[in-house]
Amino acid sequence: MSKYDNPMSRQVFSLPDLIETQYDDLEEKARLVLSFQEIFNIQRIVLTGCGDSYAASLAAKPIFEMLTGIPTEVVTAIDLSRYYCEKHMGVDCRNPLVIAVSNSGTGARVAEAVQRARLHGCYVLGVTGNEESPLGMHSDKILKLNIPEFEGAPGTRSYMVSVMSLLLLAIRFGEVRGRYTMDQAMDYRYDMRAQGEALRKLLPQMESTCEKAAEEWKDLPYYDFVGAGFDYAAAWFGWAKMLEATGKVAMHINSEEWFHLNFFARDAKNLGTVVVGNTTNPGLSRTKEMVHYANVLKRPLLVVTDGTKEDFNGEEGTYVQVPAPKYPLNMPLTQFAPVCLLAGYISEMIGEKYGRGCEGDWSFAEGGAGVKNSEIIVR
Amino acid sequence: MLKNYKLETVYNGVHDITEQLIQAVEESGVQEGTCLVYNPHSTAGLAVFSPWDPDGFVDLDEEIRRLVPTRIDFKHQHDTPQDAAGHIKSALLGVSDGFIIHEGKPLIGGSQHLYFLEFDGPRKREFFIKIQPDV
Repeated sequence: MSKYDNPMSRQVFSLPDLIETQYDDLEEKARLVLSFQEIFNIQRIVLTGCGDSYAASLAAKPIFEMLTGIPTEVVTAIDLSRYYCEKHMGVDCRNPLVIAVSNSGTGARVAEAVQRARLHGCYVLGVTGNEESPLGMHSDKILKLNIPEFEGAPGTRSYMVSVMSLLLLAIRFGEVRGRYTMDQAMDYRYDMRAQGEALRKLLPQMESTCEKAAEEWKDLPYYDFVGAGFDYAAAWFGWAKMLEATGKVAMHINSEEWFHLNFFARDAKNLGTVVVGNTTNPGLSRTKEMVHYANVLKRPLLVVTDGTKEDFNGEEGTYVQVPAPKYPLNMPLTQFAPVCLLAGYISEMIGEKYGRGCEGDWSFAEGGAGVKNSEIIVR
Repeated sequence: MLKNYKLETVYNGVHDITEQLIQAVEESGVQEGTCLVYNPHSTAGLAVFSPWDPDGFVDLDEEIRRLVPTRIDFKHQHDTPQDAAGHIKSALLGVSDGFIIHEGKPLIGGSQHLYFLEFDGPRKREFFIKIQPDV
């Protein structure tokens, strides 16, 4: 165990067991939460949530489309609650299906978004651990999460469970709609559960690599998180964890947009750049080009991949290996682990409190007040 | 004697298993007796049917579907609509067929073949043949 062991890293080390136990809890629930009729009724899907739940939606969106063939959007809670076009809600008999994710269920904006969605005729599936929460009360159906208590840290366990619940729903929708056989669906599920063991085997390597990177990067003032398509959610999530855990300035972008924007940043040698690039990603060639030019700019570089340095043309940098599942759809369950370790170790090394400890100027956010206490407007 | 056979089926596949039946009886050496063919699955059936016009299988498939359409309002919701329909088709058609063994061969007519009917698929399947001599 690292001498910089911290609540966030302990959450990461609890993930293998959590993957296995949560799979056992959620598989049956995801199978039965919607009936055949409800699943066949789906014409479009909107995934919504805030913060980590939004990242989980980003991770699951391409999987929903790949497995179900149903057009799927990720819409932020405020966009759904205040801006989403009314003409696109309540069509084709209670469509789109809005899947709203929030473990606590108490965020004001998600509660507002689902109320508006239902007002205008959408069907709402809430994914939450709190049936009595505003999200729970304003959902047509609830996929009930049951995440065991753990010491507090920027959401790591809850993110994995959100991703898993969405992936299980996607697998189920595709199975019921006859996109593949029940045997194939079960193989996807078995592979999902197997990611617990796959992660368990790689964690010692991840720990040492991320601890060393954190030592080298702890005094850097900025960080940039890059990933495309299937990997973008992990990059987005890394940005979020770095902000929450360390309070340092961070950015996130996809590998194409990086060439249009983020590469302009000056002081490149002090800009820690984390690239998420799995070897099955259709956008890998662009990510490899991005890695090359990050080196040209002499940026400190950490690559999170299921492959090796050779998969990136031998480009210099620190490489962290994440599990390579049999089915890439299960990649999002584990590929975020290194960014949590990195952020947690840096936070520990520099003595920074998570979320600034909700102290001083940050005290308004105590107990999640910043996201719970907001005027609800439903129209 | 009990023999086990493996099958890899296709979606709604019709698999002729007459040869396995004849072979199993021959290998048993039983001249007079009975034999039972058994399918241990709940979404597949066994049927004796004429092999001579392939369109006959289309008729059979269509009639089975007419009797048990794949609906989405089945009460059994644990798996898929196709699976729910498959359970009923299997129950209606049955999972076993018995044959008389006479002079070392199964007594089957010239227009009779034995078929393993897949109501789901593709799946890895199996069936058993039990042969008993007369006492």
